[in-house]
Amino acid sequence: MNATAITPDTPGHQDVRENTLAITGWGVVTSLAIGADEFTTAIGEGRSGLREVTGMFDEELPEHEAFAMPDFKVRDHLGRKGTSFFDRSTSLGLLGCTLALDDTDLTVTDDNRDRFGIVLGTTAGSIKATSDYSRETLEGDKPFRVNPVLFPNTVMNCAAGQSAIWLGLKGVNATVAGGRLAGLSALRYARNQIRRGYADALLVGSAEEFSPHTAWFSHRQHSAEEGRVKVGEGSAVFVVENAEAVRAQGRTPDAEVLAVEVGSYGAPGREPDAGAGLADRIGRALRRAAVEPSQVRAVATGESGIARLDDIERRGVDSALGGEVWRVRASEWVGECQSASGSLQLAALLAGHRGHPELDGAVSVVTSVSPDGGVGVAVVRGWHRARGDHRG
Amino acid sequence: MNRRVVITGLGPVSSIGTGVTAFGQALRAGTSGISAISSFDSSGFPHYMAGEVLDFDPKALLRTLATSEWGRTSLFAAAAARLAVEDAGIDEKVLAGAAAGSSIGTTSGESQVIEALTAEWVHSGLDQITPAYAAQVPASRLAAAVNQELGLTGEAVTLSTACSASNYALGYAYDQIVTGDADYMIAGGADSVCRWAHAGFYRLGALTEKVCSPFDKDRSGILTGEGGAALFLESLESATERGAHIYAEVLGYGLNCDANHMVAPDPVSIAECMRRAHHNAGIAPADVDYICAHGTGTPANDAMEAQAVVEVFGTRPPPISSIKSMLGHTMGAASGFGAIASALAIDEGFLPPTTNYRTPDPELPAIDPVPNESRPAQPKVVQNNGFAFGGNNAITILGRVA
Repeated sequence: MNATAITPDTPGHQDVRENTLAITGWGVVTSLAIGADEFTTAIGEGRSGLREVTGMFDEELPEHEAFAMPDFKVRDHLGRKGTSFFDRSTSLGLLGCTLALDDTDLTVTDDNRDRFGIVLGTTAGSIKATSDYSRETLEGDKPFRVNPVLFPNTVMNCAAGQSAIWLGLKGVNATVAGGRLAGLSALRYARNQIRRGYADALLVGSAEEFSPHTAWFSHRQHSAEEGRVKVGEGSAVFVVENAEAVRAQGRTPDAEVLAVEVGSYGAPGREPDAGAGLADRIGRALRRAAVEPSQVRAVATGESGIARLDDIERRGVDSALGGEVWRVRASEWVGECQSASGSLQLAALLAGHRGHPELDGAVSVVTSVSPDGGVGVAVVRGWHRARGDHRG
Repeated sequence: MNRRVVITGLGPVSSIGTGVTAFGQALRAGTSGISAISSFDSSGFPHYMAGEVLDFDPKALLRTLATSEWGRTSLFAAAAARLAVEDAGIDEKVLAGAAAGSSIGTTSGESQVIEALTAEWVHSGLDQITPAYAAQVPASRLAAAVNQELGLTGEAVTLSTACSASNYALGYAYDQIVTGDADYMIAGGADSVCRWAHAGFYRLGALTEKVCSPFDKDRSGILTGEGGAALFLESLESATERGAHIYAEVLGYGLNCDANHMVAPDPVSIAECMRRAHHNAGIAPADVDYICAHGTGTPANDAMEAQAVVEVFGTRPPPISSIKSMLGHTMGAASGFGAIASALAIDEGFLPPTTNYRTPDPELPAIDPVPNESRPAQPKVVQNNGFAFGGNNAITILGRVA
């Protein structure tokens, strides 16, 4: 295979490598901003999504601040009808999906809904909904007196299933339980579905909710980490299509996903070393993308101040890309969002492109590392969007 | 690259037997894996039966993982994977050095871990929860456990598409080998019996009292079950080269979504999923010799599944049986056990029975459920159904290597 570097150029004037995905729109839900344009502005201004969260729940929280949305109610965005039983993860995922569809020039019709699907990443679904349900069975002398209407909220594919119903998308519907790797794993799953011809378009992303459970789970594990980024919540969802098809239609993508590679190594401190593994996967992804390490402009890492994980990521990135490549730490703006983090890192890169034509064609990398030794990398090329594009 | 993909190792950890020999014998014999619930206190529940793996002994099955660091469902997944690799007879070092990974399906992931945390919350408060349990919550650990047990450095992906998840996992693993992204994959699924699911299915009116009897006129619901199911996949070329025993070939799969209702099955959508699976596998309905049913035993599922089968196959469809009559509903592992049963049906020449079958359902005249006793047969092509909450339909097609 010829590894000749592709020069940055406007889309439509270069070869599209096999299996390249196009991103033709995206949506973000975070405490920082809701919506791609709003997120782009907020990132550009360097704002922080850190909020006072005291009193957000009946349960006491370990910390007073989080990158969470105390006033978020899905009905404010999608109406009251049909939304009242949604758990928070479902709400975040579905709203991300609807915003992504609002942001693309692709419309859902009866002609394409059978081949239009959804791939969402998660840690364990709505942990709060599940734990609340479990709690109901432990209280009182009638443990079976749980609410049947809420039962689907305990299942991890609830967000993807409800989003399919809401949007009428009958294509492939998948949920990838990837934890901190979920965003990249969902992208990789989507890449396979599209290259194999099972789907034409997919809403791809991941969502994580903030709850007393996630806050305490994190606190009990990591409170000794001094530089730890506070816990967050949110979702980012991308409209993903076959890049060749998009160009053949004369449409302009926001970005192309050139490669997604993942691997599985030892947990931090164990063999085989995940840092070396990440470096290896970055190298493979760049070769697949036909990009030289020196051409990588930025890397959006998942670093969030947990030293043993950040160390793996730093060593992997330094080894594969050198120490000079520009680091984008999305967690500083949106918090530690677990399964949503990889998608939010990608969204932060796309936000950088959206209003900046001078960055057209630049290549960036997204990296993720999980506490169980999982590593992931995506290679992305982005373009700006002229005002009004896709909104006509 | 467009490689043919075959199954050369099977790893069932189930309530009717652990390991391919025991599981195969139990399938043929129509053994019941149902017993009174022991993994949680079922007092207070009107129904108290489930398909638990009472003799699950992860320490005896696993060689690498420290069992104390992992939840029950991850241990099911890793143990099943270990058995599948042993059954495949591939050298462990060769495997660890190869492009190899795993895709594992689940409904509720580490449900017993979340229940343990919930109990701590109720009794002591969230501020007292055990950090080690919190670390075990991510469902991604199921596939991670498989890779770590076997020393695999390739992809480890957990697909949590509820009760059809193993078919999603098998389809994804198949694609990885077809395309050359991987040379070996472990595919399967795992789930554990848990209190909240027992309660939830009971309140949905979907939980039967003692006996699961799919396709029977008087069927009244599921029993929850558990276990780990794993299949070892490689290219036909690789299997032939190393002289491996080939159970079956993976011919293809189909996925779609009802986009209609979270819980109620949709026969039109299920029929469409069957057509997709046939199309992707390059077969016609007339090629299918046996259907391993989703067959949960609820009145609605079995009626809708039968309706879709008739829609696609006509009024004389192939035999269709439900191994959930023996195992209960093992949730995310269910279509993995279905795939193992399908591979054994092809390899050993029999159709597993639908046990507990007493009264034919006049509403399902086309259905031959292989009642109560396994049947000698030589199926060449088998369809393995998996449906789920969220309208997540997934069907895999296996065939004899020709």
